[in-house]
Amino acid sequence: MTISTKLLGIASAGVLLAGQLALAPVASASGPSMVEEGKNIAFTRKKGNCLACHVMAGGKAAGNIAPPLGAMQSRFKSKAELKAQIADATVKNPETSMPPFGRHKILSDAEIDKVVEFVWSL
Amino acid sequence: MQNKMIGYVMILAMLLFGGLSTVQAADGAKATNPEAAKVEKMIADADKARKKAASVEGEWRDVGKMLKKAKAALAKGDYKTAKKLAAKAKSQGEMGYKQAVAQKDLKMPSYLKY
Amino acid sequence: MKHLLKKIAMLAVAGGIAASAQASPEADREAFQNFYKNRFASVPMEEYPNGVYSIDPVGRENWEAIEEFPPYEPFIDEGQAMWEKPFANGKTYKDCFADGPAIAGIYPLWDKKNGMVITLPLALNKCREANGEKPLKYKKGSINDILSYIAYESRGQKTNVIIPKDDPRALAAYEKGKKFYYTRRGQLNFSCANCHLQNAGMNIRADRLGPALGHTTHFPVYRSKWGTVGTLHRRVTGCNKQVRAKPFKAQGEQYRNLEYFLTYMSNGLELNGPGARK
Repeated sequence: MTISTKLLGIASAGVLLAGQLALAPVASASGPSMVEEGKNIAFTRKKGNCLACHVMAGGKAAGNIAPPLGAMQSRFKSKAELKAQIADATVKNPETSMPPFGRHKILSDAEIDKVVEFVWSL
Repeated sequence: MQNKMIGYVMILAMLLFGGLSTVQAADGAKATNPEAAKVEKMIADADKARKKAASVEGEWRDVGKMLKKAKAALAKGDYKTAKKLAAKAKSQGEMGYKQAVAQKDLKMPSYLKY
Repeated sequence: MKHLLKKIAMLAVAGGIAASAQASPEADREAFQNFYKNRFASVPMEEYPNGVYSIDPVGRENWEAIEEFPPYEPFIDEGQAMWEKPFANGKTYKDCFADGPAIAGIYPLWDKKNGMVITLPLALNKCREANGEKPLKYKKGSINDILSYIAYESRGQKTNVIIPKDDPRALAAYEKGKKFYYTRRGQLNFSCANCHLQNAGMNIRADRLGPALGHTTHFPVYRSKWGTVGTLHRRVTGCNKQVRAKPFKAQGEQYRNLEYFLTYMSNGLELNGPGARK
């Protein structure tokens, strides 16, 4: 996928999400870079390392411990809900293997916001 | 001016006494600089948090390293770095303690069928 | 009335949880082994000593090729020389271990006198110290030579950890090891069980997670990643570090009790050390 179509996709997602912009005020202008930064954090081993367990578009040699990440906007009601899941998945499922990225400060709050932007775009 | 003097004394001390110098420099800084005393207290508190986590077998991997680095930064007069590291170490000490205590009672996973 | 029923139901649930948290070691082992039987229905029990290669056909091909010229062989030879060479006082390991060198099958064992779990590396060092020799290091170095030799000579013995009923401290040590196994640790919040029970057979990145059943049968192990043979406690140290927990001391109480529990889970499986792993 070229960068321009990616941007287009993000832009149209932005239009679709207009109703939720109040929740995420930074989405339109700085959205694309947030998504790119989020992708970097998600793919980097010493940061999110999401690929250890999740198949994600654009990622290589992903694990299969956890569900592939796609169609996220049909799986989560809002970015806030997605963020809560990344921050501490044990709230919904005490037996989950997923590390509590927020509760244990594996990622900073700002980093999680970026990852949310990226994952939400999948 | 005074800072410069301290700097010269530190360099001289390092040249003369090698390893000993860091300790002396830190002591010297402590006497003259309340900021250094504050950082030292932060490091001591963080170490307490680390030990508390260790007492319940909950210490995390990097806390000890962070404290070592914090002490080195303090000795060099880099208070900003030392504070940041000490705060992080303390927070990780507390999280490790909390994690272990929350699992005080063994709960067998539901996927094991008895 | 409704309230009372609810209470009874809750008590029953609590009772159920308590039952498995304090189940007998035999019930633990059955549940443990049944878990894998259910998950990998086509894998026979005898395969588990082969670790991850019992459930990873691709990795298995590479492994079988490696086993044709076993990388641990020189360590076995070194270990044999160690076993036979007299200490400075003229005695040998054989004076400590009359049944040696094929003695791996009796470890880890409960030492009633000292009230602790004794592992094979610990027993070897006790022998050395009793004969005026310096103890060996517990993770790297020549302890792996003699362990390789003893493991090789012990091949075919069956794992048979015993928790003596006449000393409640033995069961307590087992329970501690069990607790360790199921406790989440480190910043990444993983228990041993998260990876090697719950997610055994899944891939983490491109690596397949091996079953815990059989984990103890093939140590010491030549790991390509290490480029040498290493002990079980060295391997566990690596696991703890990976989840960002501070590892415990090799041969300290935590890892000894863990070994006691984990080896018990593999009771009945054949010893096949030394092994070769990625």
